[in-house]
Amino acid sequence: MNILLLLIPLSLLFLAGAVWLFFWAVDDGQFDDLETPGLLPLDDSDRPGKPPQ
Amino acid sequence: MARAMCCQGCRAAAEWIEQLGLAHYYALRTQPAKKPEADAEPASHDDWQSDNARHVVRNLGEGLRESLWLVEGVRCTGCVWLVERSLGAMPGVVSVQVNAVAQRIRITWRDANTSLPQLLRALARTGYRALPQDARGLDDLRRRESRDALKRLLVAGFGAMQAMMYATAIYLGAAATLDASTRDLLRWLGLLVATPVVLYSARPFFAGAWRSLAARRMGMDVPVALGIAAVYSASIIEAVRGSGEVYFDSVSMFVFFLLAGRYLEMRARHRARDLTDALARLTPPFADRQRDDGTWHRVGIAELRVGDRVRVSEGGIVPADGILLTERCRVDEALLSGESAPVIKRRDDLLIAGSVLEDGPVLLRIERVGANTTLAGIAALVGRAAAAKPRLQLAGEMAAGRFVTRVLALTAITAVAWAIVDPSRAFSAAVAVLVISCPCAFALAVPAALTRALAALARQGVLVVKPDAVQALAECTHALFDKTGTLTEVTLSPDVQTFKGVSRDEALRLAATLARESRHPVARAIAAAHAGMQGATVTAVTTQSGLGISATVDGRALRLGRADFAAGKLPAREYEDAVLLADDAGPIAAFRMTERLRADAGAAVDALRAQGVKILIASGDAPSKVASIAARLNIDTWRARVLPKDKLAWVDELRAGGARVLAIGDGVNDAPVLAGADVAIALAEGAELTQASGDIVLKGGRLGNIACAREVAQRTLAIVRQNHRWALFYNLSAVPLAALGLVPPWLAALGMSVSSLGVILNALRIGRAAASPASRPQVPAEPSQRAAAA
Repeated sequence: MNILLLLIPLSLLFLAGAVWLFFWAVDDGQFDDLETPGLLPLDDSDRPGKPPQ
Repeated sequence: MARAMCCQGCRAAAEWIEQLGLAHYYALRTQPAKKPEADAEPASHDDWQSDNARHVVRNLGEGLRESLWLVEGVRCTGCVWLVERSLGAMPGVVSVQVNAVAQRIRITWRDANTSLPQLLRALARTGYRALPQDARGLDDLRRRESRDALKRLLVAGFGAMQAMMYATAIYLGAAATLDASTRDLLRWLGLLVATPVVLYSARPFFAGAWRSLAARRMGMDVPVALGIAAVYSASIIEAVRGSGEVYFDSVSMFVFFLLAGRYLEMRARHRARDLTDALARLTPPFADRQRDDGTWHRVGIAELRVGDRVRVSEGGIVPADGILLTERCRVDEALLSGESAPVIKRRDDLLIAGSVLEDGPVLLRIERVGANTTLAGIAALVGRAAAAKPRLQLAGEMAAGRFVTRVLALTAITAVAWAIVDPSRAFSAAVAVLVISCPCAFALAVPAALTRALAALARQGVLVVKPDAVQALAECTHALFDKTGTLTEVTLSPDVQTFKGVSRDEALRLAATLARESRHPVARAIAAAHAGMQGATVTAVTTQSGLGISATVDGRALRLGRADFAAGKLPAREYEDAVLLADDAGPIAAFRMTERLRADAGAAVDALRAQGVKILIASGDAPSKVASIAARLNIDTWRARVLPKDKLAWVDELRAGGARVLAIGDGVNDAPVLAGADVAIALAEGAELTQASGDIVLKGGRLGNIACAREVAQRTLAIVRQNHRWALFYNLSAVPLAALGLVPPWLAALGMSVSSLGVILNALRIGRAAASPASRPQVPAEPSQRAAAA
């Protein structure tokens, strides 16, 4: 069972990392709009529009 | 692009969009775009130069500027795409975020490369009108609230998963050989991951409980917080003693499920709030101010000073507190008083900023501006109204609150009973009762169903402004339709009959000048037919709902409206269904309107009738016209020539007879009726005023969706009832077993999760079968379908 002494701290470390990453993403505004970004992959034209004059 | 165009202008616009490389809009959009309204006095984008812009732009430093715009006409994801692309391609634009539901754009740009007027102009070229919002809205409370809630939810979720993992090891190990030191290690680890869940994620429950107790009330939060604290501290005691059972997994999951319910509820609330925000337009960004020489010009609200003379048109919002200079007017001060009936104001009365003018236009002398206005108070009131929970939800929470209180009592009884029989098992049995009894299922029953219903309805273009409306819609027995502009679309018929040798053009010009001042569908049809007189001085304008409009144009008193209103007495029966233009000398011209039944009106009425709803028509129009429409729709109960107050009286009469009335309308005429009915549906193209008093807004005028929406609403109510019954059944069967000490901790945790998941999965069934042909737009290939096929 000694392997637990390595694996458990490791899992806790991953957990802390995941929480930190998520907090960063939330504060970055990535979860503010859950609908619009869902469309982006459907847009197959890479060409951005010419700026309107 | 092979597509039928209505006019050369549209073709040019479509080609322009294609030239910009933005043709993808047509593939992405799921609704045809809104017809642009003829804007009599378009806000010049240069209005937003310098001083005007200061309060709507936030300086982020390093030359970066940020602004929040409310955009009219953003209807679906196609619009979002178009706006993002066209603005994003502007030089200097750093980021564009479009929220289609809230109709809001958050945009950041570099001041050196572009400016606010340039950006607004670019957006206007794509056909959307943007109203920059107060910069204070940028760091709004709501965004912080939803971010906080998401973080708490995630911490609870991760904590629950980890705690469950350690707990599973203990449960499985209990059967095999798990030495005491490993078991204790796993217990302490459980404590480690459950602690942030209880201390961070569950904080809203503790804070809410504390608030309730401080106010000497027993809210839903009190028993929940008590339960969490009890299970958590009991588990710590057991962990320290090294005996009994620990429930760190259950307490984490408990918090996670409750937070999930809260999160769903918050999303639904924000969605509703987004809609009311977009509709209410609390602060009009511009006001029409009179210069010293009598001419009008548009200024930003921030520029208004005490003593300025300001004009507000019918259906407009009073920009600042001011004294009425016109003889009389009616205003809707619903935001202030909660009273939906309009208030009559006379000369020298004070009009409050944010109230809606029901007839007009009127002149004001500004008395208080900016922070001194009552607007601050109104904003707080609106916030409170938006935070108000739907009745359905309140009932659900009351049930959950009562339930938890009973469970706490049961826990105490269990502990006492076991203390007499077998003191060593008292503690664990009491905790098992607390854990297995699941108020989550009760607490989730309503928000899960309601959130799902609102989303399903929004997909069909039915926007629920007040969540209470879902229940009322499901229960309505009578549907009262307005005719003009709701069941039918109105256009001006080309043959204009003129009197006394007035030319057709002259008559149209006068009529359009008058019609500009009103938002009634008929007036709009007339105003659309002619540009009207440019630069004419229109004074003493009064609009009488259901009758017509009168004004003095260049010194000549004119009336436009129903024949008996315009010409004094009814000239002849043949003018009964005409709109007459008259001055003091007599009639000038008679206009006839051609009415076309909306394409889906027949299907919509039939579908509602098939659901057992009685269909009625109330119209201010002539009996012969109403009768013909009613006959075509097989409606036998209708009333014609009714004024708004008569319509309202009819609604009251029906309601007194036990009916639940759904009112569907469009236009200024309907506002009181819509406010007086049990539930009101306003067509989105209607005047802003109607939208403000509608509980539900129907986008795109697709009447066929009303019946679908009612089906979804009924299904929602049924699901809520099922959920409550399921929660009750689960608890009634599980709690006695726990009290007898027959339930091991792993089963308690499992039972609790399954009962909550059952409620959520059941709610997901709402709106599944509701996709009707009417709700599916006529777009050849829908993006989502393509994605599914790919």
